[in-house]
Amino acid sequence: MEDALARYLASRLEANDVRVTNLLRIPGGASRETWMFDAEWTAPSGERQTGAFVLRKDPPASLLETDRETEYAFYSAFWGSEVPVPRMRWLENDASILGGPFFIMDRILGCESATAKIIAPPYTAVHPQLAENMYRILGAIATFDWRGTPIERVAEPPTPETAWQRELDHWERILDTEAMEPQPIMKAAIRWLRANPPPPAQRISVVHGDYRVGNFLYREDGNIYGIVDWEMAHLGDPLEDLAWSFNQSWHWAKDGRPGGIVDRAAAIAHWERYSGLRADPQALYWWEVFSHVKCQGIWVTGARSFQEGRTNELILPLVAYSLINAQDQYLLRTMGRIP
Amino acid sequence: MNPSAPRVLQGLAANLLSEVMPNISTPFGQQLVGIAAMLEMMLAEEFDRAADRLVTENRVVRELLAEGRALLGEGCPTSVAAAIAAPAAPTLRVPDLQRENDLLRAALIDLHAAVEQAPGEAARAFEERIWAELIESTRRRQFASRL
Repeated sequence: MEDALARYLASRLEANDVRVTNLLRIPGGASRETWMFDAEWTAPSGERQTGAFVLRKDPPASLLETDRETEYAFYSAFWGSEVPVPRMRWLENDASILGGPFFIMDRILGCESATAKIIAPPYTAVHPQLAENMYRILGAIATFDWRGTPIERVAEPPTPETAWQRELDHWERILDTEAMEPQPIMKAAIRWLRANPPPPAQRISVVHGDYRVGNFLYREDGNIYGIVDWEMAHLGDPLEDLAWSFNQSWHWAKDGRPGGIVDRAAAIAHWERYSGLRADPQALYWWEVFSHVKCQGIWVTGARSFQEGRTNELILPLVAYSLINAQDQYLLRTMGRIP
Repeated sequence: MNPSAPRVLQGLAANLLSEVMPNISTPFGQQLVGIAAMLEMMLAEEFDRAADRLVTENRVVRELLAEGRALLGEGCPTSVAAAIAAPAAPTLRVPDLQRENDLLRAALIDLHAAVEQAPGEAARAFEERIWAELIESTRRRQFASRL
């Protein structure tokens, strides 16, 4: 893969001596293969240059079937804004180059993203700062003016009245087509969601779609240097992201705190302060119930991909065995059916 | 007697973690070994209990469907009667039991939706019985070892 990558970069950088080193697959990245690498080349000016990059490559099958062009557009739109993202470099749809379409971005150096590390020292000392930054940035995503950016080309805005329905229709369809067993608990929740729709969205915002601890790059100073994994980004109700961040699947410290770093009330207060929006409790509850349906849609998609032999990624059966039943239990807890 | 499948899987997991993992140099490789070990622990549990869980659940759901049909009468979804009438799994092999389970639980979804729309205290009480079974179904599937 190093040689193929070097040839690709040579064409993009107009250099004929590109050397790719330290190519390593990064753990995680269940939806797209994520690789890091370094490169050295001589620029047309004759100057020797180096770069540190991340490559996101489509696998044969994954937890999600998403459009890489959409993800690339959302990343590109936020570059240079108060929402920190890595700089996008190249998007390549030709699967013959590396065995799948891919895109390449700059690597943000010196950061952590691991969920196991953020809940342990030295990061526990800066949980208040990390939490405030996490929800400050989410507020900035919610209020970002996406009109006139690359997002407008790839994402269709719903109306404030239909934002909930579009998402629920989408994820119910996924659950119906991908689940290999009946889902009586999820289907009961879906009936409740349809019978009790939330109020219209306060505004149509960018929704990251997977905003949680684990999808940002942080350091010991309590700052966040990059929001990553935009593969489920879309336009919709900003409460969707806030509710998603509370899902029990991301309670990494298993102590009831979202992400293992913040209590819920503080998270809501930060988000309301920085976004200027209100987290209506009933609307937020609707989106929290919905978040379980969406999670389950993701888990069952990965389970089917593995079962049908489209991939041998072991993370997919692990997620299925670990989370499909657990997600039912998390939903039951949110709905007050179990303590 | 041979060592049981759960015991063999547990042994495999222990060897992966203690003997293989320390010799893997890349974070991705280490993650893979960890996932393989965790999966073996979960499969050990599932191997031990799967048939028992499915036999128990199929009986409980069949009883619920029969009671639901009696409660709703003509208002009962046709899938409920069809599931009740369907033959039980022909063997105790897990795939056969699972097919029966899928049929019964799909009918339970239809029954649950119909009971929600039915008026009266008896319907409310039966709705709670369905919820109690759904909660119990998650306990049957819970793993001692999971992420």
